[in-house]
Amino acid sequence: MRHRERAETRVRPIQNIVIVGGGTAGWLTAGIIAARHKARMKTGFTVTLVESPNVPIIGVGEGTWPTLRSTLEKIGVSETSFFRECDSAFKQGAKFARWTTGADDDAYYHPLMLPQGFTELNLVPHWLRGGGDRSFCDAVCPQGILCEDGLAPKMITTPEYQAVANYAYHLDAGKFAPFLQKHCTEKLGVRHVLADVQTVNRAENGDIASLSTTQSGDIPGDLFIDCSGFNSLLLGKTLGVPFKDCSDVLFCDTALAVQVPYDMPDAPMTSHTIGTAQKAGWIWDIGLPTRRGVGYVYSSRHSSEDAAQEELARYVGPAIKNLSVRKIPIRSGHRETFWKNNCVAVGLAAGFLEPLEASAIVLVELSAKLIAEQMPANREVMDLVAARFNDVTAYRWGRIIDFLKLHYVLTKRTDSQFWIDNVDPATVPDRLKNLLLLWKYRSPWFFDEFDRLEEVFPAASYQYVLYGMGFRSEVDRADCDGNESMATRLMEENAIVTRQMRSKLPRNRELIRKIREYGLQPI
Amino acid sequence: MTSIVVLNSQAHRDLRVQAAASAQLGDNERFVQVAVSEFAALVAHYPILFAKNSDTGAFFVGAMLGFNPGENLFLGAGDKGQDSYRPLNLRRQPFFVSGTDLAIDLDSPRVGRGEALFDGNGEPTCYLQSIVAILGELRPGLEMTKLFIETLLAHKLIEPITVDLGFDDGSRLKLIDLYTIDRNALKDLPDATVLDLFRRGYLYLIYLMIASLKQIPVLAQKKNRRLHESAG
Repeated sequence: MRHRERAETRVRPIQNIVIVGGGTAGWLTAGIIAARHKARMKTGFTVTLVESPNVPIIGVGEGTWPTLRSTLEKIGVSETSFFRECDSAFKQGAKFARWTTGADDDAYYHPLMLPQGFTELNLVPHWLRGGGDRSFCDAVCPQGILCEDGLAPKMITTPEYQAVANYAYHLDAGKFAPFLQKHCTEKLGVRHVLADVQTVNRAENGDIASLSTTQSGDIPGDLFIDCSGFNSLLLGKTLGVPFKDCSDVLFCDTALAVQVPYDMPDAPMTSHTIGTAQKAGWIWDIGLPTRRGVGYVYSSRHSSEDAAQEELARYVGPAIKNLSVRKIPIRSGHRETFWKNNCVAVGLAAGFLEPLEASAIVLVELSAKLIAEQMPANREVMDLVAARFNDVTAYRWGRIIDFLKLHYVLTKRTDSQFWIDNVDPATVPDRLKNLLLLWKYRSPWFFDEFDRLEEVFPAASYQYVLYGMGFRSEVDRADCDGNESMATRLMEENAIVTRQMRSKLPRNRELIRKIREYGLQPI
Repeated sequence: MTSIVVLNSQAHRDLRVQAAASAQLGDNERFVQVAVSEFAALVAHYPILFAKNSDTGAFFVGAMLGFNPGENLFLGAGDKGQDSYRPLNLRRQPFFVSGTDLAIDLDSPRVGRGEALFDGNGEPTCYLQSIVAILGELRPGLEMTKLFIETLLAHKLIEPITVDLGFDDGSRLKLIDLYTIDRNALKDLPDATVLDLFRRGYLYLIYLMIASLKQIPVLAQKKNRRLHESAG
C-alpha cells in the first residue's frame, strides 16, 4: 500500500501555480498561463499571484515587440483599452543615431517589417551589387520612411491588433501592470494575494513546498514562478542559482531616466524608439501620448555621473531644469539556469540587459508562453520540461547579448574609451565573432542558425543592423545571377508599397488621438 | 462647399427646393447610410451591408446602390428619379437637424427652384412637413442602428465580405471594406442570446441583412443591362 501511495504522489498533477511578484513580468505571466489553461480551472487548476503590498514596481521596459500584439489578443484584452489605459503608442522600430561615425547625419533604422519578399529571396546580394549606396532599409522596406514622415502604422478603420505596417508598442510600464492585474483577476480567474513572503518552505527533495506570508498564512503550490524582480527571491536567494554577469561584453551599468513633457499636447510624436549614441553609452527616447521617456544608459567605468548628467541635459535641452532625473543601477546578465526544481524565474528575476532592443518584455512573453505551452503534467516530468526550458532560454539570452553587442562592435567611433573598448575582440562573444567572419563573405539569411521556431531576432534584424552600420559583405557577384529580375521586381514592389502607405496612413499623433476618442473596431 | 443655417420661416419664406431624385442634385451615391427602420423596405431592392466611417472607424449600415464611385444604378435615365424605395438619407437632402432645429444647406444645388417650404401665411408646406417627418424617423433610427451594431459586435456577429464581380464588358470589380453578418457565429450563439436578440427585434434585422445579399447579383445584372443599353 505504501508503495502505491508514493506512486500517487509522484504523479500528482501540477495544478497550483504560484507567482511571486506583481510587476509587468508577474501579471503578464499570470495572464498568459491563465488564458492558456482557462478550461482546466473548472477541474482545480489555479493561478495565484502573491504581491508584496510594500515593494514598489521597477517598471522598466517601455518599448515592446510586435509579439505583444498577439499576446494581448490571446489573453483577451481589447487593444483600444490598452491604448487608453496604458498611455500606449505605436513603435515601428528603432532609429540608431551616431552609432557608426558619431556624425550628425549618422543614422539608420532597424524597422519591424521584414524586407520585401524576405521568404522568397535574400535581397542583400542584389542591393550590394547595385552599389549599396542607398540605405538598405529604404531599398527593401517602407518603414524607415514611414517613421521619418511621422506616420502611424495603421488607420482608424484597421481592426484591433491588425497592422498595415508591422508594429509594437511604447507604453507606460507603471500603468501596464495594474491594467493587466485588473484583466487577470476580473476575467481570467487569477487569485491576487497581497502579502509579504516571510519564509520559503522547502520539501525534502529541495522543491519549494509553500510560502509563509505575514498577512495570508501559508500558500502551497506545485510550481512557483519567480517574478520578484532583481531580488530573485526564489531562484536566486532560496535555490541559490548564481547570476552570470555579462558586463564584460555589455558595459552599460547605470541608467539616468527622465520624463519629458511635450511643448504642446498635440506636438508630433515619433512612432519609433530613437537610440542616440553618446560618449559612454546611448540615450533612449520614446514617444508616449502624454510625454517622452528619455534616459541615458552608460558605463560608470567610462563616465562619471556628473558627465553623464551633462550629456543627458544637452540632449533634453533647457527643459531638464524642472525635471527629476531618476538614477537606476542596472546589472547586465542572467541566472546560470532559469528553472530549478519546481521553480522558474521570469523577468528581472531571470536577468536584465540594457534596453537597446527592448528585449525585457518580449523575454517575459516568450518564457511565460513556453511555461504555459509546456506546462508539466506532474512532478515526474517536470525536470524534463525544465531542462528544455533552460536550453531554449539560455540560447535566447545568448542571442540577445550577441545582437546587442553587434550594435557596438561595428562602430568606427574612436572619440572615447567606451567605443574603443567596445571593439576589443576580448569583449566579443565567440559566436558573434564567428558570425561576423562568415558575414564578410555572405549575408545573414535562413540556414544561418536563426532557424528556431521562436527565434528572438530573425536574420532580417542582423541585416538591418549590419548594413545600416556600413558593414559590407563581399558577395560573389555570380551569386545574384538568375534572380536579378525577381530582385528588381521586389525592390520595385517595395517602392510601390511605400508610395501607397505614405498616401493613406495618417499622422501618428492623429491616429493615437482618434483611438483614444473613437476606439478601434474589433474586426 | 456647404453653408448650413437654421431654417427660419421669415428669412427663408420664399426659398424653394428641388425634391426629386437626381444624379446632378446629389443622388449619385453608390452607398448610402440607412437606419434599421428602413431594412424591410430596402431588402426588396438593395444589398444592406456594414461599412466603416473613414474618419472614426465606426461601423454604420448602408444600402448599396451601385459599384463605382458616384454610381447609383437606381436612378432612371434622363433624370426620371429613383425607380425604387429611396433611402431617407437621400430624401432628406438638403436638410439637416442641428440640435433640435431644422437646418438647411443653402449651397446645395437643390436650393433655388422647386417646392416651396412655407405657404403665404408662413406655415410649413406639406413638403416641409414631409421633411420633418423623414428627419423625425431618421435621427432616432440611426441611434437604434448604432445600438444594433454594438450588440452584433459584442456577440462577434460581423465579418468582412469581399464582393468580386465580373461584368459583361469584361471589367472586374473587387469591393473591399464591406462587412456582413457572420452566419457561422450566428449558428453558434447560445439559446439565451438568440432569444434575447429575437425579443429585441434584432434577429429579424439580421435575417433581412442576410437575405439582402441576394441583391448583389441582381445589382450586377442591373449594371450589365446599363452596359448593354449604353453600348446599343
